[in-house]
Amino acid sequence: MSILNNLLKMITYQENTDREGFVLEETADDGHAARQSEPSPESEAVPQYGEKASAGRRAFKKPVRPANKAGCKPRRIEDGSVAGEGRPDQASCQAKSEQPANNLSVSASLEENREIVGKLYGLPVNRDIVVRDIVIGASPAINGFIVFIDGLVDKSVQDLLIQALMFFAVRPAPPEKGKLAAYVKDRLLPGNQVSVQSRFRDVLDAVNYGDTALFLEGCAEAVLVETKGWEHRSVERPTIEQMVRGPQEAFGETLRSNTALVRKLVKNENLTTEFLNVGARNRVNVAVMYMRDLADPALVAEVKRRVGSIKTDFIVDSGMLEEFIQENPYNLNPTIMATERPDRVAASIIDGKVALAVDGSPFVLIMPVTMYEMLHTGEEIYSRWQFGTFIRYLRALAFYLAFLLPGFYLAVILFHHEMIPTELLLAIAGNREKVPFPSLIEVLLMEISFELIREAGLRIPGVMGSTIGIVGALILGQAAVQANIVSPILVILVAVTGLSSFAIPYYSLAFALRIYRFFYIILGATLGVFGIAAGLFTQAILTANLKSFGVPYLAPAGPRTVAGADVVARLPVFFHENRPDYLNPQDITRQPEVSRGWLIRKDGGKDN
Amino acid sequence: MLAMSNMAKDFMPYPRQLLEIGGPAAWMTPLGGLVVALAGIYLMSLVLKKSPGNTIIEATEQAFGPLVGTALNILIIVSVLEMTGALFMREYSDAMLTTTLRGAPISVVGAVFLAMSVLGAYLGIEAVARVSRLFYLYVLGGILILILSLTPYWNVHNFLPIFGEGLPKVIFQGAYKTSTITEIILAAVIIQAMGGSVKNFTKIGCYSMLIGFGILILILATVVLTYTWQVGEEFTLPLLRLARTIYLGRFFQRLEAIYILFWSIVGAIKISLCLYGAAASLARSLKLPDYRPLLWPLGLAMYILCLLPPDMSDAIRLEDFLRTLLLIPNYFLPLFILAAYWFKGGLQRAGS
Repeated sequence: MSILNNLLKMITYQENTDREGFVLEETADDGHAARQSEPSPESEAVPQYGEKASAGRRAFKKPVRPANKAGCKPRRIEDGSVAGEGRPDQASCQAKSEQPANNLSVSASLEENREIVGKLYGLPVNRDIVVRDIVIGASPAINGFIVFIDGLVDKSVQDLLIQALMFFAVRPAPPEKGKLAAYVKDRLLPGNQVSVQSRFRDVLDAVNYGDTALFLEGCAEAVLVETKGWEHRSVERPTIEQMVRGPQEAFGETLRSNTALVRKLVKNENLTTEFLNVGARNRVNVAVMYMRDLADPALVAEVKRRVGSIKTDFIVDSGMLEEFIQENPYNLNPTIMATERPDRVAASIIDGKVALAVDGSPFVLIMPVTMYEMLHTGEEIYSRWQFGTFIRYLRALAFYLAFLLPGFYLAVILFHHEMIPTELLLAIAGNREKVPFPSLIEVLLMEISFELIREAGLRIPGVMGSTIGIVGALILGQAAVQANIVSPILVILVAVTGLSSFAIPYYSLAFALRIYRFFYIILGATLGVFGIAAGLFTQAILTANLKSFGVPYLAPAGPRTVAGADVVARLPVFFHENRPDYLNPQDITRQPEVSRGWLIRKDGGKDN
Repeated sequence: MLAMSNMAKDFMPYPRQLLEIGGPAAWMTPLGGLVVALAGIYLMSLVLKKSPGNTIIEATEQAFGPLVGTALNILIIVSVLEMTGALFMREYSDAMLTTTLRGAPISVVGAVFLAMSVLGAYLGIEAVARVSRLFYLYVLGGILILILSLTPYWNVHNFLPIFGEGLPKVIFQGAYKTSTITEIILAAVIIQAMGGSVKNFTKIGCYSMLIGFGILILILATVVLTYTWQVGEEFTLPLLRLARTIYLGRFFQRLEAIYILFWSIVGAIKISLCLYGAAASLARSLKLPDYRPLLWPLGLAMYILCLLPPDMSDAIRLEDFLRTLLLIPNYFLPLFILAAYWFKGGLQRAGS
């Protein structure tokens, strides 16, 4: 009977309430948790993004894994093991309650604090954690100790602080020891950013991030002084998104420097940078940047909700974060843009988009984006509009060639010879005469070789990489033709395809097209132009169905929205009167209809 | 999207039938059909106004009661859309076999169309509409280039005698043949995708008819101008023949493969729409919350139906008959519904 029931259950249609991509909340549990938790004033003020989230979803209980059945018991600090050696799938559990420091408060006893710090950091085994005893030279003298991580702090700043405390603090100490921390912060420490915290969680977060914590005898609070000063790259030129004209700065690995690079370009008090923590173990800082008076509040709330809901133990790069927050991770096309150029981020933020900068990652994420924006570089705006438009059309051609050319070639030579002029047909046939492989194998051989050269060129260090790439391609192509393994026309074809692929400015999109190309090769070889048409229809409908944070991926063409002056053709900048309609910005107007006031007024249009 | 759907038949043997009817005046045959189609949209809008916020499915049920209404919906709307989808699947598969994949079994080509249509219908009307929006420029541009490329072969005398075998035959028989479209009933099924507004329905319906019929008139005129109607009615696929005729120097000739690319996409859009319409109508009729589980069985049924005719000539003959069935959901059903409302209103007035 149970078998029958199971069979019936298997063949009965059940609505998939847990499908990602169509709903904004990842699982029903998340939705339930979100409803249970206290709504923030911001989330109350703005509607939930997207249509289906508000439609109400069926309660769906996720099965509990056996490993978690016992519940997430917080580990005691007496175990001696800090932050557990659990499996990755327990990370969310740990994030909630197993971090031993989460519930600990700073004690008034210096010895107790020292013992807790020692246990939390696994001292003395952990050798890069420095605990140094100090005596503050007030009268009477106050005992204390400082904690910091060697290598993360700026020693000159720290020396200055220690000097201030030990040598120059010749003031009478306050009679109430509980107020010592506030006294030290206000009177004795000259640091720029000094705060007082009473929870060990906050103390550890700060110390792990390069700050120095000061514990004082008799005071149940710790003083945190900003002493960040680790080794890092300086601001360098972009390596992936190079351009001829425009700013030549790129992001680095330091979050604060990255946010500052954006703020340097957007000198506006409405530029907001919020910080969120992601990753139960590495607790990486993620900066959410947007214009308070431009970005759609629902979009900002949605970005923060998605980032805040991530339960994982380790995020090291924005690429990992991107995969966690995008709507359609199974589609090849990227729906979030990563850029290393602050000017692109600044321009996007001014348009009403949201940027996410991850500490340690030199790529900042921009959302929402459309596919057309992924074919822009920003350089078109810096050069004359005619040049920009020309480059855009060239790039549009490259876009199609990058994934269609080999497949179409196969379709034509295998199924539609009539399309090829007789002379060319004879030339192709003559060249192919000695080639022993069928055309499909020939194309696959060359394409795979090209991909190998490309990958090898990337992995080989330094200048050798590009040299190997060029030499490898030349020698391999020439040798393959001489050995009658491939025909010369195919070498040209693969080279043009490769060049077109390199002309796609956004790396992830170019990568997606590289993979699509192989599908078209198979389709062209098996079904000819009809196969190519089938592939195009499938690719187009899957791409048209994509959304980037609620914005249709192919807007403003599919669906049709107000196109603006900067989609494929790049019209002169004085025509860029409105921000993109699909972003739903709070202020759609970028500039007045007549932005060049000098055309109509003698005073230069100062009042315009 | 509806205009693209309307254009799908232009790439098939359909224009040949109109050449047979109209002769040199073949280009006039769609004029009568256009008037009838516009009248059909007006009729359908009257029905939809009686049942605001609902589709034709609910309107039928309201007019005839739940039992008869559901039966009529399944018999008239679902089955006709299903058969039309199967018909197009067969015609497009045959067209692919005769033009490009001569050695391939029809089941394979049909299966590819089935896969495309199930995917399109699964992703929904919004996705299909976006794809239509993406490709319509290429399709219209392609047709325009085709027409312009053939201007060197045009002979205006081919239009004579101007009314062919007589205006009544051209107009009335042409109206009968060309008014058998799917777009009126499809628009009435997907009206909620147009915001549920009857005004939008009328506007979109009229525009799509004007574009669709306009393109058909242009194609027929080009065939007559280029080849004369006597030669034109010998072509199985007149538009493909026109594409083959293009000769822009030694390098640009025989460009029909490029056109096949876009025609296949138009075919996939048409079949997706028919499948979506059939599944959505059936789901609404049976009060199912989601149409998607019906896609696979309906798609499979469409595929099987498409394989039933033994050869292409039988398929064309069958098409001739089945196409007339489209008159029922497009024109007769709205008339019946209006009559039922009128009858009910009369009874109520008599009762009060």
